[in-house]
Amino acid sequence: MSKIKALVVDDSKIMRSAVKRTLDQLMLADFDYTEALDGKDALDKFNDDVQIIFLDWNMPNMTGVEFSQAIRKKGNTEHIPIIMITAEKSMGKVDTALNEGGANAYITKPFTADSVFKVLSRFIDKDGNMITENDESEKKSFFKDMLKLK
Amino acid sequence: MLPTKLDAIKEIPAPIIKSVISCVENTFASISGEKPAYIEDCGSDVPMNGMIGNIAVFNSDHTLSLMIAIPKDTVVALSEVFCGMELPYESDDMGDLVGEISNILAGDVAASIETIGFVGQSSLPTATRGSDLTLFLPNKPPTARLKFQGPAGEFWVNLALSESRRHR
Repeated sequence: MSKIKALVVDDSKIMRSAVKRTLDQLMLADFDYTEALDGKDALDKFNDDVQIIFLDWNMPNMTGVEFSQAIRKKGNTEHIPIIMITAEKSMGKVDTALNEGGANAYITKPFTADSVFKVLSRFIDKDGNMITENDESEKKSFFKDMLKLK
Repeated sequence: MLPTKLDAIKEIPAPIIKSVISCVENTFASISGEKPAYIEDCGSDVPMNGMIGNIAVFNSDHTLSLMIAIPKDTVVALSEVFCGMELPYESDDMGDLVGEISNILAGDVAASIETIGFVGQSSLPTATRGSDLTLFLPNKPPTARLKFQGPAGEFWVNLALSESRRHR
């Protein structure tokens, strides 16, 4: 099982630590973390090795949604899950992050290990590896087949 | 819900205050596991030694400023709950923590007051540490001072409602 390269973006050091601590405590996978202080810093640190992104919204210089849009605009990044972890709670904000921002999941602060686990298990399998698009399609076709059988 | 010009308003409307009280209770309950009690008689505005987190929920017409005043003992106890270890009171991390608590509260308040017609967004938080701190608000906007008693200790949330700058 290789380490999953995770980019943790939050202007609060306390929150970056809390995200890392929670991910480590869950023991769902081994992570290799890169931290970024805001969207602009994250854009500088983003590279092809990044496999998953944990992203705050409200940050100076560049917001999380602006960063997310920039990453999706790069192309060939659709396979990288972007998980917003933010204090923004209104439905309009959730909708903006998921639809306009291109984020894949949304967790509100203060988060619990359970809420992080529920989201992460959509992207990481039981062996601690990233679920690839193929795995997803296989799962979908498996469920389709199951429905046909019924 | 609110008139564009706030001249006629002497107090922050009760639905906003009710929303903020509920958000403070929920936010601190989710941090410490126990709802803080809202104390109706918050006493006189005595200078405080501790930290103040400042943040605002605003739109083009109005700004609701939230100032969370947390005495030293309370914020140290909160740091242990939030971070799993007691942060040094004088550290930058403590300022970071107070900013983050303000940010979480403002997110909750923004979502809550949206349902009563105040659609706004949160500013970035700031945190101040000091002694003999007294809050002073210029231009005498409608204000409210709310006191809470939680498992980590007492703290206050001060509110000020003002017109956003373009109307001044």
